Amino acid sequence: MNGPQRGGVAGTIRFSFDGKPLLARPGDTLAAALLANRIGLVARSFKYHRPRGIMAAGVEEPNALVTVGTSGRSEPNTRATDVFVYDGMVARSQNRWPNLSFDVGSVLGLAAKALPAGFYYKTFFGSAKRWMFYEWFIRRAAGLGDAPTAADPDRFSQRAVFYDVLVVGAGPAGLAAALAAAEAGERVILVEQDSVLAPSLVRDPQDLDPAWAEATAARIGELGGRILLRTTAAGYWDDNLITLSQRLAEPGEPPAGGIAQRLWHVRAKRVVLATGALERPLAFAHNDRPGVMLSQAVRTYVRRFGVVPGQRVIIATNNDDAYLTAAALRDAGAEVVAVLETRPAPAGASSGFTVHNDTMPLTTNGARHHLREVSARVDGKIVRWQADLLAMSGGFTPVVHLHMQAGGAALDWDDASQSFLPGAARQNVVSVGAAASVAPVGPTPPPENPAKAFIDFQNDVSLGDVDLAWAEGYRSVEHLKRYTTLGMATDQGKTSNMAALGRLAEKQGVAIPEAGLTTFRPPYTPVTMGLLAGRIERDAGAHLRRLALFDVHQARQPIWQPLGYWQRPRAYPQGAETLAEAALREGRSVRTAVGMTDVSTLAKFEVSGPDAVQQLELVCATTVGKLAVGRGRYTFMLREDGLVFDDGTVWRLAEDRYLLTSSTGGADRMAVHLSYVRQFLCPQFRVSVVNVQEHYAGIAVAGPTAKAVLAGLIGEEVPRHMSAVRASIAGIPVLVLAASYSGERAFEVYAEASLAEPVWNACEAEVTAQGGCLYGMEAMEFLRIEKGHLVVGGEIDGRLTPHDLALDKMLNKAGGYIGAAGLTRPALTAPGRRQLVGLEAIAGTIPEGAMLVTAPGQPADGHVTAAALRVLESGSIALGQLVDGFARHGEELIATSPTRNQSAAVRVVAPHFYDTAGERYRD
Amino acid sequence: MTDITITALPAAPLHVFEIWSNPAAVANRFETALGRSLPVLGRALQLPAMRLIRYEPAVWLVEGEATGLAEILGSDGSLTAIGGGLVRVRLRGADWRSLLMEGGVFDAESKTFAPGCSAATVIDHINVRLFVESEDVCLAYVPLSYAHDMIHFWTVAAKALP
Repeated sequence: MNGPQRGGVAGTIRFSFDGKPLLARPGDTLAAALLANRIGLVARSFKYHRPRGIMAAGVEEPNALVTVGTSGRSEPNTRATDVFVYDGMVARSQNRWPNLSFDVGSVLGLAAKALPAGFYYKTFFGSAKRWMFYEWFIRRAAGLGDAPTAADPDRFSQRAVFYDVLVVGAGPAGLAAALAAAEAGERVILVEQDSVLAPSLVRDPQDLDPAWAEATAARIGELGGRILLRTTAAGYWDDNLITLSQRLAEPGEPPAGGIAQRLWHVRAKRVVLATGALERPLAFAHNDRPGVMLSQAVRTYVRRFGVVPGQRVIIATNNDDAYLTAAALRDAGAEVVAVLETRPAPAGASSGFTVHNDTMPLTTNGARHHLREVSARVDGKIVRWQADLLAMSGGFTPVVHLHMQAGGAALDWDDASQSFLPGAARQNVVSVGAAASVAPVGPTPPPENPAKAFIDFQNDVSLGDVDLAWAEGYRSVEHLKRYTTLGMATDQGKTSNMAALGRLAEKQGVAIPEAGLTTFRPPYTPVTMGLLAGRIERDAGAHLRRLALFDVHQARQPIWQPLGYWQRPRAYPQGAETLAEAALREGRSVRTAVGMTDVSTLAKFEVSGPDAVQQLELVCATTVGKLAVGRGRYTFMLREDGLVFDDGTVWRLAEDRYLLTSSTGGADRMAVHLSYVRQFLCPQFRVSVVNVQEHYAGIAVAGPTAKAVLAGLIGEEVPRHMSAVRASIAGIPVLVLAASYSGERAFEVYAEASLAEPVWNACEAEVTAQGGCLYGMEAMEFLRIEKGHLVVGGEIDGRLTPHDLALDKMLNKAGGYIGAAGLTRPALTAPGRRQLVGLEAIAGTIPEGAMLVTAPGQPADGHVTAAALRVLESGSIALGQLVDGFARHGEELIATSPTRNQSAAVRVVAPHFYDTAGERYRD
Repeated sequence: MTDITITALPAAPLHVFEIWSNPAAVANRFETALGRSLPVLGRALQLPAMRLIRYEPAVWLVEGEATGLAEILGSDGSLTAIGGGLVRVRLRGADWRSLLMEGGVFDAESKTFAPGCSAATVIDHINVRLFVESEDVCLAYVPLSYAHDMIHFWTVAAKALP
């Protein structure tokens, strides 16, 4: 016996398996190439480390799992039958030590009787901690491949398409369906998981000339249809949304076009499933030995890849299809020793082969991890044949997975073929070809040794395990699955489920359809995490927003800080300054001279129209109507429940035109809120609300000399605090708002974003001339905390009322604003509410976010919302929320952060640490 | 070889043209003044110096010379400048439809999305407005803060279109 052989010219593609350099031919799967190199032992089984070879020729392969690729591209658990060899491919076997041929773990096979289904549950008693101990050993003794730890260097694409018809499977039925739809003028997409069209025609050219497939595909293309190879329909979702997994590079292969895989989201008006059928193995003792293969797979290797997997062959079958394999092997020069036919005579009588009816294999024997002998009971006597290949066929299972994922209302049982066929569908989907109908089969006698008759090869589940689960009381098919692990992992029961269901039904004494089905969940075949989570570029799908003046800032080498969706300068260090040093220097510049910063990200809305003031007085809890043209004021907004959710300023720019600003982080929420008010609450308003957040770039200039800076820039008198003027800087029209967030006299200068750079440059030159500097978010935070200004997300966290934040004196006494009714609820004025306080450290530095407690171990009375160092003086200060905080000024507490092991003694004070009278705003 | 050129166009005047009352009267005034009807949803009107794209039921995006529109609106609506916040990106070449499907959710490959059509959609989580200028050219209006990443995304994706 010679095992697998390939004739003709040698391969030209170099690859390696377990470090051994080998050659393959173009178009070879790894499985075909290994067989061509006479390698039959490819893997070790999951649990018992049994030697395993190649059983199938497609995605249903349960045994031949390998790791392909290296470093971040390495892909474990790749089916050798579902990866095409490329030059330089590195493939490795899995779950073995020290090597595949001599695997120490195979001793577990000797202890198989002690490791039956559910042995975990029977063996590992005790506390959870003990399980952690056991798990360490189990993980090393059993399992699949290792996930790579290096980053995946490849890119992944996600793409949406819309079609009238999606056809899954480019076999004869799928091609015909796609052609018919294309000729009817429909937009068609046809997908095929293999690398060639109609692979079944290559295997069985007697059915139809393979050239027909090429011609049909060409015609579909001419009619505008799209055909994708190496593309698997992995999931079927509502409204005929199907997700496709497309391989642009083979596992582990550097992608030529830069993108390794593409995830397609297909919306199709109609779906045609031409997914074919999978051949079922037969259950007999030691049916998992390398050299025992599925019949159609053998035929595929012979006809498509030119590899003859064995020279002395036994065929075992319960149907007619296997005779085609026998003929193919005979034509390829192999010797078909016998056909073991489960059906009674005259089945197979006209085949020309030696057929033993009412017979199926009893067991197999092997040598050097390969099949050597097959035995069967023939006419009551055990007969043994020397053989290096056993091609088995237990019938066919239509691939109904996508049909059921689509919410298939039912599967119809077909007794003749012993298979489930697609029944009624809840979406616009139809199954055709072998997915809808398969050939009849004969009886499949039960094996004499079920303990060694494997049905789920990947998970080492035998018929004996099913029997054991039944004996132990597992009646539901779902419980059976979980207890035995049948149908899990990459296999998903492709070759095992029917055998298990058959055995369960037999035990229950019912027909197979009554035994029940497990749930069909996507993906049917494995998809990589990269496909789902990978991106075309690092930030794709989660972009950070850039300031209009990004390049200007970048040239000044700031420390960038993601803030909300934005990327903002945190500080502009000079020399070797740390962040804290830079921020303090910048803050001190604002306190003593002048500083400027980018405030472009603030939410900004232009509200115009005769009813603009009504709109604003609904949204803002302060008065707006009394604002004179050219004046502005601080404002805040409530939710309908009366709690503060944002704050900002409102400016009357013209008689019926206002500018409303609010927080950066709440900008999108505010846009939705304004739209809700405009479109839903008050559609009768004659008002236009336009989001101009990005239209204007904003520059804040703050400090004792800010007024001089602005005067020099605009060449006219600067507006007084909370006033606005239109002016020009560097020839660019600007809007100057005199508003402060720092506690100093300050101005916000707004220019159209595309024109803002010269304005920034002019401001910076003037600020520098006045001895000032740029400042970033960190200094801004110090300044605003010291002044007691609120920030949304910190002090304003959606839980406090205006009273809690000491804003109640600013409420519009006429009411009418959103949240006014909610504010009347007694609970919002009851004692025990958290209220805004200031905190100054008695000793130590106050940790931001720390809990406020009266003594160690006491429950938290509140927390620190923001902490900073005093800008000009020394000391640590903070803002916080504290239960009944207004009445607790002077009380000493502990600000403690157990997670950081930090704490500080603090004194509760008013939340204003700087210029409490507000004199520095005024000229 | 992918047939597409991605170009960020210079900033241009862009305004929001919103009607809050008497839409029929505004439409009549518009037609009288400009000789064309206001475009319906999903369509754009191209005039020599101005393009109007219907944005929302009562809102249009005006690109170009907006002088005179305030008069047409009268007290029934308003005009607000937004040009600083949008970057116009021209996608030129036969493959622009295919490119827009990368990271997209809108059927830009449909023949009904023909020259003169407009759409609002999301591409790679970025909100984008589209206007089909011709069979070979589509204009995308991208928020300024996302424009750099959007153009980069398209540039990378264009190299590997199916």
